[in-house]
Amino acid sequence: MRRRQIKEIALREIRTRGRSRGYRAITAIMLLMAIAAPVVVNLLPSSSNDLTNVSIGIATDAPAGLDEALTALAIDIYDLTIVDLRGDTRAEIDERLSESKIDVAVESPAILAWGQTEDSALTAFVTAGLQRAEALQRANDLGLDGDALSRVFGPVETEQRFVDGSSNTESVRQGVAFLGLFLAFLLPQIFGQLTMLSVVEEKSTRVVEVLLSQIRPGTLLAGKIIGLCALAIVQLLLIVLGLVGALLATDLVEIPSSVWAFVPMLVLSLLGGLTIYTTLFALLGSLISRQEDAAQVMMPVFVPLMAGYFVGQTAVFGNAETTLAKVLTWIPFTSPMLLPVRVAKGAISTVEVVVSLGLLALGSYLLFRLAARVYEFTLLRTGSRVGWGELVRLSHGSIVD
Amino acid sequence: MTAALEVLGLRKAYGEVQALDGVDLRVAKGQMVGFLGSNGAGKTTTMRSIIGLVAVDEGRVTWQGAPISVDDRRNIGYMPQERGLYARMKVKEHIAFFGRLAGLPNNVAEQRAHEWAERVSLDERKDDLVQELSTGNQQRVQLAVALVHEPELLILDEPFAGLDPVAVSMLIGVMTEQVNRGVSVIFSSHQLDLVQDLTEDVTIIANGHTIASGKVSDLRQRSPHRVVSLSWAGDTPAWAPPTAQPVEAPAGQSRFRVSADTEPAAFIAAAAEQGALISVSFEPPGLEDVFIELVSQ
Repeated sequence: MRRRQIKEIALREIRTRGRSRGYRAITAIMLLMAIAAPVVVNLLPSSSNDLTNVSIGIATDAPAGLDEALTALAIDIYDLTIVDLRGDTRAEIDERLSESKIDVAVESPAILAWGQTEDSALTAFVTAGLQRAEALQRANDLGLDGDALSRVFGPVETEQRFVDGSSNTESVRQGVAFLGLFLAFLLPQIFGQLTMLSVVEEKSTRVVEVLLSQIRPGTLLAGKIIGLCALAIVQLLLIVLGLVGALLATDLVEIPSSVWAFVPMLVLSLLGGLTIYTTLFALLGSLISRQEDAAQVMMPVFVPLMAGYFVGQTAVFGNAETTLAKVLTWIPFTSPMLLPVRVAKGAISTVEVVVSLGLLALGSYLLFRLAARVYEFTLLRTGSRVGWGELVRLSHGSIVD
Repeated sequence: MTAALEVLGLRKAYGEVQALDGVDLRVAKGQMVGFLGSNGAGKTTTMRSIIGLVAVDEGRVTWQGAPISVDDRRNIGYMPQERGLYARMKVKEHIAFFGRLAGLPNNVAEQRAHEWAERVSLDERKDDLVQELSTGNQQRVQLAVALVHEPELLILDEPFAGLDPVAVSMLIGVMTEQVNRGVSVIFSSHQLDLVQDLTEDVTIIANGHTIASGKVSDLRQRSPHRVVSLSWAGDTPAWAPPTAQPVEAPAGQSRFRVSADTEPAAFIAAAAEQGALISVSFEPPGLEDVFIELVSQ
C-alpha cells in the first residue's frame, strides 16, 4: 500500500511539474544550449580549426608558382591570405608592412621583408614554399608531368602518439568533469527549489491536511522526492543526449572510450546529490507556510553548494588532489560536485568512489529520516516560520506538536 | 447503541495552552453526530486526533472496540475546515487521485470519480481545473474527495460553511445517504438550527472538555428553561411578567424564557388576561439556546 501511495505521489509530481511552463522552458533552454554549443563552435570559421591568420605579400621578383605552393602548404597550418604586390613600389610595400596589412613580403627568393620583427615559424613556412615552388619549376623544366609532380611533392601525412595520453582525451576529461560539476551544482538547485515550492504549496493550500488523512508524512515526502528526481533525470538525459549527439554530429570532439566508463558513476553521483538536496529543500520548505519566506530558510543550503562548486572548479582546471578537494569528497553535501571532477580527472581510486557514494547514500537516508520527522510536526503549522532552535528540538523529539 | 468510534479522555497541550482537556465522543455505525463547540473549543483538534494528524498527550481513540490503526484510518473520509485542494488539478483527476491514494484500483477510482462528480453536480465541470471553480463548487469537490473511497466513518469539519442553500441541500442529501448506507458521520457546525434539523445526536464541548452528549431532544428537555411564544389578536400588549425574561421574537409575537418548573397553565392564564390569545407554545428551548446555556456555565 505504501509503495502504491509513493508511486501516486511521485506520478502526481511528475505530471504537475512536468507540465509546468517553468520545467518545460528550462529543459528546452538547456537542451538547446547543449545542442547549440558544439554546432556554433563548429560553424565559427575562426575557431573551426584554430588556425592563425597570416597575410603574405608576393612581389614581382618572387618565383612563379609561389602562390600555389604556399596555399598547398598552408592547409592545417595557417589561414592564409596571399596579397599580390607585383604592381607595388618598394615604398608601397614598406607602408603595408609598417601598417601590418601584411605579415611578410616575399621580394625575391633571397629577401623576405618584415615590418619590425621576424616570425621564425613564418620564415620557415615561406622558405618551404619557396623551395617547393623552385623545385616544381625545375622539375617542370626537366619535363616531368603533373601527376608525377604531385606524387613527388605531395604532403606527407603524420600521426601522433602520446605516452601520457593525448591532449584530446585530457580535454574531453576536463570537459566531462566540468559538465558533471555544473550539473551537480545546477540540478539540485532547480529541483530542490521545485520540491520546496511543492511542499509550501501543499501547506498553504491546506491540501496537506487531506493528504495526511490518508498517507504518512514520510510516504508523502518519499513520493515527492522520487517524482522530482525522476523529472531531473529525464532533464539530465535530454541534455546529455543532446550534447553527445551534437558532438558526434559535428565531429568536433572524438569521445574516447575511457570517458564512457565513468558515466554510471556520474549518474549515481548526480542522483545522490539530487536526493540529498531535494530532501533538504523539502525539510526547509516544511518550516514555512508562505513562498515569500522561502529565501529566509534557503540561505544555508547555498553554503555547501557554493563551497563544492568553487573547490570543484579549482579541481577541474587545476589540481584535483588537494586536501580540501579530498575532504569535500567525503562530505555528502559536497561530494556530488567533487566526485565527478575527481573521477573524470583520474584523481580518485575506485574504493574511494564506492565509499564516497556509500556515505552519500547514508547521508541522504539519515537526512530523509530527519526530514520525515520534522515534516510530521510542521506540516500542519501555519503562520510564522518554525525557527532554527525549534527545528533542532524537533529533531531530538523533545516537542510533540 | 454500540459505539463504532469511541474517543475517551483526549488531552492535548500546545505549550501552555490546553487544547483538549478530556474530550469524549461516541458514534455508532450508521449514526450521525453533530459535534458542537465555540471557536477554539477543540473540535478541529479532536477531529485531527481521530485521523491521526495530531498526537494526543492522553486518551484513546478506538474503532470497533480496538485502538484505531493506520488501516482503520484509511476508512475515514475527511473534509477539513479549511478546504485543501490542488488548484491546478482537474476536478475528476483530483477525485480519482485521492481514490487511488486510499487504495482503489485505477479503473475503480476513475469510475468513482465520474460518479461522484455527477453526484455533487459537477459532471459538466469535471474537466475544469479546481482553481476555475467557485468556492462552493470547490467544496463539492472536497466532499467528493472525502467520499470517493466509500469510507466507513465520515468526519466533516464545518461542512456547511460558505455554502449556498442549494449546496447545503445537496450536502444534507449526501450525508443522509451515507448514514443510510451504514456510515458513521461526525460533523461540526455553528449553524445549530441546521444541526437540529439534521441529526438527533450531538456532543458539545467547551474549553477542550465534553460538557454534554446525547439526543438533542433530551438535552432540550434537560434545560432549566422553557420558551413561551405568544400571539394576541390585535396589537401585541407590552406585557412583562416578573418571572419571565423576554427574548427576541418575530413581529406580532412575544417570546419569554421562563424557568422549567413554571406552571404552563398559570402562565398562559396570566397572558390571556392581556388580550385574546391566538397562539401559544410552551416548549423546551431550541438547540441554539441549549448550546448557549451549556457553554456559558
